Amino acid sequence: MTPAPPPPPEPGRPSGGSQPGPDPEERDPGLARERTSLAWTRTAIAFAALGGVVLKANVVTGLIILAIAPLVWQLGRVPARGGSPGASLAAVSAARLRLITVSIVAVSLLSLLVAVLGRSVPGALR
Amino acid sequence: MSRSGRWAGLLPGAAGTGHDGDDGSEPDPRFTFANERTFLAWSRTALALVVAGLGIVQLLPPFPGVPVGRHLLGVPLIVLGAVLAVVAYSEWVRNQRALRHGDPLPKSVMPWILAATIAGMAVISAVILLISAVR
Repeated sequence: MTPAPPPPPEPGRPSGGSQPGPDPEERDPGLARERTSLAWTRTAIAFAALGGVVLKANVVTGLIILAIAPLVWQLGRVPARGGSPGASLAAVSAARLRLITVSIVAVSLLSLLVAVLGRSVPGALR
Repeated sequence: MSRSGRWAGLLPGAAGTGHDGDDGSEPDPRFTFANERTFLAWSRTALALVVAGLGIVQLLPPFPGVPVGRHLLGVPLIVLGAVLAVVAYSEWVRNQRALRHGDPLPKSVMPWILAATIAGMAVISAVILLISAVR
């Protein structure tokens, strides 16, 4: 029994270049777009989770943070509408990523205020 | 990797506008998307740290004998969340610039920051628990 010949090297794969190959993603970069938009959804859910925790300590602050979640979700939908992955792609990203950074810093400052000044629920997990 | 270089991207208009003064070539969109997902993953890590810190301060019963114990644990976690978000953005800018120029991606400091903080928090937790057990 002769051993099977080694499979031919897959064209385009090892180089990591952008020439089309058998990898579905290389034929359709839309998968990367979809994964990114799912990552935005997860980030929005993370904001909502934080809002839920803050809600237990301070209702108004919690509602403010909860209201950020749908905004983040909308922010993630921008490239799907924008369409062409042209020169503007990184520029659009830079603007909204800066927005996310600012919101996280603001939200953690709010949380810090709630944590230090707010009345804690003594032994809520007791 | 000078300090000014690391933070230069945070100044508005300095970089990250897609044509940051020095021109490179537009990278493969998949790389841009992957860089963005990395940033988003670190953002969620930052948010999780804030949630953890707030949960410790607000939901845990106080440690007997260590009245400031919960704040000692929770406040650094919340602050670290804010720091991590800012560092994540500056690294996104640096990575995007490296992609445009075809340079090797710069080393990330964030795993080191996260590991050091988690180790530090573990030590503080152990000390607080020991003190409250002794009393």
